[in-house]
Amino acid sequence: MVSRHDRHPLPQLPSPPPPASPTASEDTIQALNGHLLRGPNGGSMRWMFAGYATSWLDDGWMIMQSLPLPGRRQLPGFASTASTICIVIIANSRRISNGISRDSRHKRNATGAKRAHYRKKRKFELGRQSANTKIGAKRIHSVRVRGGNTKFRALRLDAGNFAWGSEHTTRKCRVISVKYNSTNNELVRTNTLVKGCIVEIDATPFRQWFESHYALPLGRRGKKPHDGHEEGLNKPRSNHVTRKVNERKEGFKVDQALDDQFVTGRVLARVSSRPGQSGRCDGYILEGKELEFYSRKIRSKGK
Amino acid sequence: MAEQTERAYQYQPGVFQNTKLAAKKKSSGALKRWYCDVGLGFKTPKEAIEGTYIDKKCPFTSGTISIRGRILTGVVVSTKMKRTIVIRREYLHYIPKYNRYEKRHKNLSAHLSPAFIGVEAGDQVTVGQCRPISKTVRFNVLKVQKKIVKGAGAKQFTKF
Repeated sequence: MVSRHDRHPLPQLPSPPPPASPTASEDTIQALNGHLLRGPNGGSMRWMFAGYATSWLDDGWMIMQSLPLPGRRQLPGFASTASTICIVIIANSRRISNGISRDSRHKRNATGAKRAHYRKKRKFELGRQSANTKIGAKRIHSVRVRGGNTKFRALRLDAGNFAWGSEHTTRKCRVISVKYNSTNNELVRTNTLVKGCIVEIDATPFRQWFESHYALPLGRRGKKPHDGHEEGLNKPRSNHVTRKVNERKEGFKVDQALDDQFVTGRVLARVSSRPGQSGRCDGYILEGKELEFYSRKIRSKGK
Repeated sequence: MAEQTERAYQYQPGVFQNTKLAAKKKSSGALKRWYCDVGLGFKTPKEAIEGTYIDKKCPFTSGTISIRGRILTGVVVSTKMKRTIVIRREYLHYIPKYNRYEKRHKNLSAHLSPAFIGVEAGDQVTVGQCRPISKTVRFNVLKVQKKIVKGAGAKQFTKF
């Protein structure tokens, strides 16, 4: 029911009626009922108030429903007449309903001087509430942003596309928990997904790929494989494929630290997408020095 | 790994550290390093190429900082900030009524890459304009000329 003035041409209103005379007729009001109204100047127009706001929009526009004024109704600043029917738009041209702004005008100068407050917050300086993406059944809200584009604010995510860099594969994996966040321990405690946090992901998609690609067991450690797992290792392969697989096996070894993780079925990964912006929790499996670094951090924190 | 002093793992984003070939050559210990030439005739310091520091604001080892716009020179006033310095630029301002000049100066904060070691107050420094790096820093140090000790203090007026 919302119509933006740039997408739907608004019906042009007549210039504001002098207070004393009867104003817009019933038909005009009905036609305008439910639409965003904008005065001829395009900016804020004060009209006599006769309706009630049905909703506030983010940038301060109001959708008004019109009501016939019952008899004489005194409104401040206007003389009333018996059968006055009016519509009022209260439109702040650029107001933000949220309090978050990204301007630097509130900050002190480089010299330390306090900057004078000389203008209101502008829409282009707006900031929005943070997503604080948690782990759970997928819940994503889309936000219309500047220029008409969309951002996908993930509020809850449970899986993401994770890459195993050295093996050059990517698989969709379940995210289990947040293990480490270099900026804030609170975000670890509350399992909040952000870019750059270290998470534990479910390793089975990767193990299945590995065993099918290399026909080598991954993360077995002397345990007898279950019947289900045998598929990847011993699936029927054509001659050509078998030859390729054997070629790959030569001189190949998985890093010990990674292998240990596959035993537990959970692998450490780092989130490299921005869940609050793109709606996705994608990342890469930690390997090598980076894995060492973060394992140490997690261990020392756990103590 | 002296450069891993932060809570997050420091690395050059363009360099993938975990290729399988790298694992074979791990005995060498050295990671591949990315560095670039900033242009405009400035030589990239040896330390930037051979060193192990990670600085996302260094013009030589970060792909995100480009030097464009003004190139200015100044004298280092203070190096107390973490990886940035304050430079003092002196100039003469002409007063037409008296047909004379007066001394004026402006301070400037510039980012100092770890490639430049041993920069002290009094050194002459060339800085190049880059995109805003922080609230007040828009310049990056490109070249350092050490102070010639002649007995004169750093605050003494020297025109460039």
